[in-house]
This record gives sequence, C-alpha cells and structure tokens, in this order.
Amino acid sequence: MLELLPLALFGAVVLGLVAGYAVAPTLAGVALLFAFGGAAFGVFDLRDLGFLPNRLFGIVTNPTLVAVPLFVLMGVTLERSRIAEGLLESLAALLGGVRGGLGLAVTAVGMLLAASTGIVGATVVTMGLLALPTMLRQGYDPKLAAGAICATGTLGQIIPPSIALVLLGDVLSSAYQQAQLAQGVFSPRTVSVGDLFAGALLPGVALVGLYLAYIAVAAALRPERAPARREAADGTPLEIAPLLRSLAPPLALIALVLGSILAGYATPTEAAGVGAGGALLLAAGRRALNLGGLREICTATLKTTSMVFFILIGASVFSLVFRGYGGDELVRDLFDAMPGGVWGATAIVMLVVFCLGFILDFIEITYVVVPIVAPLLLAMGLDPVWLGVLFAVNLQTSFLTPPFGFALFYLRGVAPPQVATVDVYRGVLPFVGLQVLLMVVLVAAPQLATWLPGVLY
Amino acid sequence: MSANQAVDAGGLVDRAIDGIGRAAAWLTLGMAATMCIVVALRYLLDAGAIWLQESVVYMHAAALLLGLPYALRHDAHVRVDVLYARFSSRTRALVDCLGATALLMPVAATMVATSYGYVFDSWRVLEGSPEVGGLPAVFLLKTLLPVSAVLLFVQAAATALRNWRRLRDGVGPGASGSGRSSPSG
Repeated sequence: MLELLPLALFGAVVLGLVAGYAVAPTLAGVALLFAFGGAAFGVFDLRDLGFLPNRLFGIVTNPTLVAVPLFVLMGVTLERSRIAEGLLESLAALLGGVRGGLGLAVTAVGMLLAASTGIVGATVVTMGLLALPTMLRQGYDPKLAAGAICATGTLGQIIPPSIALVLLGDVLSSAYQQAQLAQGVFSPRTVSVGDLFAGALLPGVALVGLYLAYIAVAAALRPERAPARREAADGTPLEIAPLLRSLAPPLALIALVLGSILAGYATPTEAAGVGAGGALLLAAGRRALNLGGLREICTATLKTTSMVFFILIGASVFSLVFRGYGGDELVRDLFDAMPGGVWGATAIVMLVVFCLGFILDFIEITYVVVPIVAPLLLAMGLDPVWLGVLFAVNLQTSFLTPPFGFALFYLRGVAPPQVATVDVYRGVLPFVGLQVLLMVVLVAAPQLATWLPGVLY
Repeated sequence: MSANQAVDAGGLVDRAIDGIGRAAAWLTLGMAATMCIVVALRYLLDAGAIWLQESVVYMHAAALLLGLPYALRHDAHVRVDVLYARFSSRTRALVDCLGATALLMPVAATMVATSYGYVFDSWRVLEGSPEVGGLPAVFLLKTLLPVSAVLLFVQAAATALRNWRRLRDGVGPGASGSGRSSPSG
C-alpha cells in the first residue's frame, strides 16, 4: 500500500491542477502536504526537504538558464516595438498570396527562434507574444494559430544546438559506458553531445517539413482558417524595396544570434544578451522606445521570467518529495516487470517518460529517469544516438500533449483572453499526430537518426 | 484587526510588492547591457572579467526571486483553466483562497524554514565566489531566497484575505483579482 503513495501524490497533483489553481504552487504545495502528512505517520523523512534551498539556489543561478530572461527580453522588445510584427508580416507577404502564408512564416521564424534558444518555455512565450496577436488580427483560426505556435516552440527540444540534447548527451554517454562495462566490454565505444546533435538534425528538419506541409494542406482545404493577406489577394504588386528594409534588420539580428551559436563563437547566453541589446537598439532606431515603453518591456519580461522559473521550482519540490517516497524505485520496479523483450521494454519506457513529461521538466527526467532505464536498454543492443533522439522527440510530444503539456501552460500564460484553452488543446492535436508519425518513422527507419553521425564522425 | 485595517494592510502589501517588482524589472535591462559588455570585452579586446559575468547571474537570480511575488500579484502564473474559466466568481474566489492558504503559504513557509540554516551558514563564513576574481557576495544572493519566500507568503496572505472577503460578501465578477481577466481594474 505504502509503495503506491507516489501514485497517490501524482493523482492529487492532477486534481489540484484541474481545480484551476496556479501550476507552480500546486506542484510544490501538494507535494509538501504529502510530505508533512507522511512525516506525521512516520513514513516520510522531513530531512529530505533540507536539500531544498540548495536545489532552488541551483535553479536560480544555473548559468545556462540565464539565457531565459535575455531571450524573453529580446522577444518582448521585438513585439512591443512592432519589429517582429513587421518581420512576420514581411515574411508572409514574401510568400505572396499563398493561403496560410503567415502560418508558414510563423513556423519558419519559430524554428529559427527555437533553434537559437533551445528552451521550450522561452520559445513558446516569445512566439506567443510575437506571432499570436498578428495571426488573430489577420483572421486566423485561433486553434490553428495556437497549435502551430506551441508545436514550433517545442522544436527547441530537438533542433540543435538544444540544451536538452546537451544534457541528454551527457547522461547517455555515461549510461553507454555502463552498459558496455556490464557486458564485459572494457574498451567501450563512446557517444558524445556532438553525435546527438548530428543525429537530431535530420529528424528535426523532417519535423519542420511535416509542420509546414500540414499548415499548407489545412490552408488549402479550409481557406477561412488561414486567410491570405488581402492586399496580395487583390493582385496589387508588392513593393520589394520597403519590404526588404523591414525584413533585413531583424533577420540579420536573428541570423547573428543563431549563427554565432551554430558556429561556436558564442554561448546561447551570450548570444541572447547581444540579441536583446540588438533588439533594443533596433527599437530605439525606429523611435519606438521611450522611458514608459522601456519600463513596460522590463516588467513584462520579469513577470514572464518569474512565471517560468516558479514552474521549475515547483517541479523541483515535487520531484524531491516524489523521490523521497520512493517514486523512482516504484518506476524501476515497473520497468523490471515489463514483457516483450527489447521492443516491449522500449515501448513501455517511452510511454512512462511520455507521462512523466506532464509533470516533470526535461532536466528532471534526463537526470532522474534516463540514468535508470538507459543502461538497461543500451545493454539490450539499442543504438545510443537513436535512443537519445527518440527520448527527445518523445518528450517534445509530451510537452505538447493536452491537458498537461508544459508548452500549453506557457502559451496559456501569454495568450490573449479571446483564445480559449480548449482552442489551444484542439489546435495542437494534429501536431501531436505529426510527432507520433515521426516517432513511428524513427522506429521503422533508425537511419534517419544514425546516418548523419556515421558520416560526420 | 478590524476589516478596514485588513483592507488597508492589503493595499500596503500590494504597493510594496509593486514597488519591489518594478525596481527588480530594471535588472533585466542591466543583464542585457552587462552581457553585451562582457561579449565586447572578450571578442574585441580579448579580455574577460569573472566578476562581470557573475554579476549577470546575480542580477538574473535577484530579478526573478523578487519578481515571484510580483508575478503572483498580477496573476501571471499560469493555471489549467479548463474548469476554472467556467466557475462562478464565488467558486474562483474559493479556489484562489484555498490555494493560497493550503498550498502557496505552506510552500513559502517551508522555503523560509529550510533556507534559514542554509543562509546562516553562508553568512557565518561570508561565502564568496568559488572562482578567483568572482563576486564576494554569495551570502547576500542566498539571502534573497528567504526574502523572496517571505514576500511570497505576505502576498499569498493578502490574496487569501481578499478572496475570503469576496466569498463572505458575495461580491460580483472579477473575484480572483486578476489584472487580465477583469478589464475594470
């Protein structure tokens, strides 16, 4: 009975979330109530909570996560000064009178942003602030708009250079060595973060292709869901010169940020700082910035950043209590009892990781679950790069799946009131389907992930 | 404490949290500016300063810790509103009142209680940076953990009180006090 308490904790958190209280304090608060209740009956050791301050301090001073407020500042600045709106509309105009042109442009811009931040929360929030109001103003179906933005935002998980892939590569390399040592291989082969980057590149690009194809088909079948720009539809010739003038500066900024990371000149945090500074300069150059506007940009950035980090803090408290109750051992026992050989094992692991993605963030799962399951699976003969890419796509799908996907929470936090939560949920479902399709393809044709690293390294 | 005094105290809390939040917001601008200087120093002059890089992390941690209660006050923290959006204003006030007292206040109190010794240890040795040439003020940064938790607790108490009064008085729409969902205020 006692060993099922972690499941009861999970259920209680779900109930609290559905009742509608804020996500972060619900995760942390319900977990703490379980901890205190357990301590009263002598089944939980409150000393476990002593790790809390150190973990919280680790979260708020994590140098990698410093990129979050900087990327948010860049996004808010581009949005408030209407530069991003111009960029998106210019891109949509470039795509001519194509129905769904703005949707395609948003996906393209979002892919660039996702690749440059590598952080789901930051990308979804930035795109939600940047693209959603524009799409709604142009008459897009809120479902299609919200779905495209959430899906594009989660691309940061899989398209390199992704922070998630760096963490996963780190954990997988030690799991791979462990698996080979357990099999008596004493000069083990290695797997690096670079391997994982190369492995994720083709699946990531394929996913973007699927998104673009879906939006194009949806726009062709139901034009009212993704209307074309009226001017273009009228057949008015496009003025190329002013278009380029509005397109060039922000595109150069994004290219600078992305290029410096991809070329290895700058860390994402440095690139984010320069990107934010550049966005502020662009805004000032257009005389779109005064003191009051600057204050609004800063307070909006602060509120969004605090929202993202409060969720990280809440998830951290939850996982501390979950593990204190032996939740990870319960999970390991479940894995031990799984039938069906390597494929059955993989399928169940992926299902569990998918469900855990509802309540734990990527970092927690990467450092809690993957070290438990990956050595077992790799010892069964799976390719580490393939397994890593499958983990990444699976978690990305989890973050996108209603009603608990993190990306949906983040978009909900910045979406205008006329977009109902149900619209967001129904809008992402087709994209979840595309994700599942990619996973099926990965299982059927592992070369999609393993071919490029084999050629490069 | 009479009801009117309680309202006044709530207003005071709101103003204080707003002031702190607005001040902390400027730190995000400071982060971007400092980061640009760090990058310029490294790539143009081939020079670096650990303390300058650490100051970005300090500003980051300070801003978001002081911003937590501010974001709470402005209802910026996200919720699953599938049911919540359909609740009556009384039910919403009940959810927010219960959530603040039964979930958020214990979380904030636990953060204060657990971080007390952690921060005290840091103060006793005046803990500085593990890096040579880093900022010698890790103990001050760690102090922000309980400070943020105390502010969260106070803001949660003010929110709980406001929603409890609305529950009791049966005041109309906008009971959750959200800046976004109630256009009037």
